[in-house]
Amino acid sequence: MEPLKVVVAGPVGSGKSTFIRTLSETDVVDTEALASEDIGKLTTTVALDYGTIHLGDQLLYLFGTPGQDRFDFMWDVLSEGALGLLLLIRGDKPEDFVPARRLLDYLTSRRPVPFVIGVTRQDLPPVWGPEDVAPFFGVPGERVVGLNATDPQSAVTPLLRLLELITAEEMAS
Amino acid sequence: MTKQEQLQRILRELKQALPELRSIVVASTDGLPIVHDASDAPRVAAMAATALGLGKRISQTTELGSLEETIIRGNQGYFVVYAAGDKGVLAVSAPADANLGLIHLEARGFAARLAQAL
Repeated sequence: MEPLKVVVAGPVGSGKSTFIRTLSETDVVDTEALASEDIGKLTTTVALDYGTIHLGDQLLYLFGTPGQDRFDFMWDVLSEGALGLLLLIRGDKPEDFVPARRLLDYLTSRRPVPFVIGVTRQDLPPVWGPEDVAPFFGVPGERVVGLNATDPQSAVTPLLRLLELITAEEMAS
Repeated sequence: MTKQEQLQRILRELKQALPELRSIVVASTDGLPIVHDASDAPRVAAMAATALGLGKRISQTTELGSLEETIIRGNQGYFVVYAAGDKGVLAVSAPADANLGLIHLEARGFAARLAQAL
């Protein structure tokens, strides 16, 4: 079985680096720098995060992107050869939903691969749940999964859904 | 002198020391331009931060010590990113026939001065 490349994208602070750190079976390759602006945390990803995980027998390569628009040149670089996309958004920051939707449209228009939207911070109410977010993005409910990016059992669920979608698409073609 | 004025002065002196440089960008390590003499500073600042950040990671993983600079050489020119302390990067671009050794000689010193000022 060929390893499967998945891109993890999303706005700043949505939990991409945390997600990969939580799940990766190998040491994560990360590229954090001190944040010079107030983004609610000390550091930010400036190049990529890279981790790997097995879902059953299937090996997945996870490539996390930086969140800020100024690093958009990395989206194409990291999306090269990707077979699936996981878009993470913070469930407690609805002001990120519009930019996240634009990002989703941009990424899927350049590379139409199966995607899942992961709504993070489900462990920190009050928070928008997947059922509230799905209509906003105009996608069926099965494409939106809630998660806690710091908990391995929770964090894996959107990847499992993404793998289902990728497999289904492969079988259909 | 304010910090910004200090940095502008360092930038001017670097330009005088290395007139062959096509552009100079001083940026934060998270990719925001601070002072510059470049037409596309925001884009260059982000890319310089990415290049240096990636370089730092590679340097760490392959045990090269702390990253000092990363060099990109195209057949039409160079782009060199120097670490300027923990919080800054100095990115310069030069034509292909530039003397890289001379650039390093000057730019490393300026990067150290920028590190102090940032």
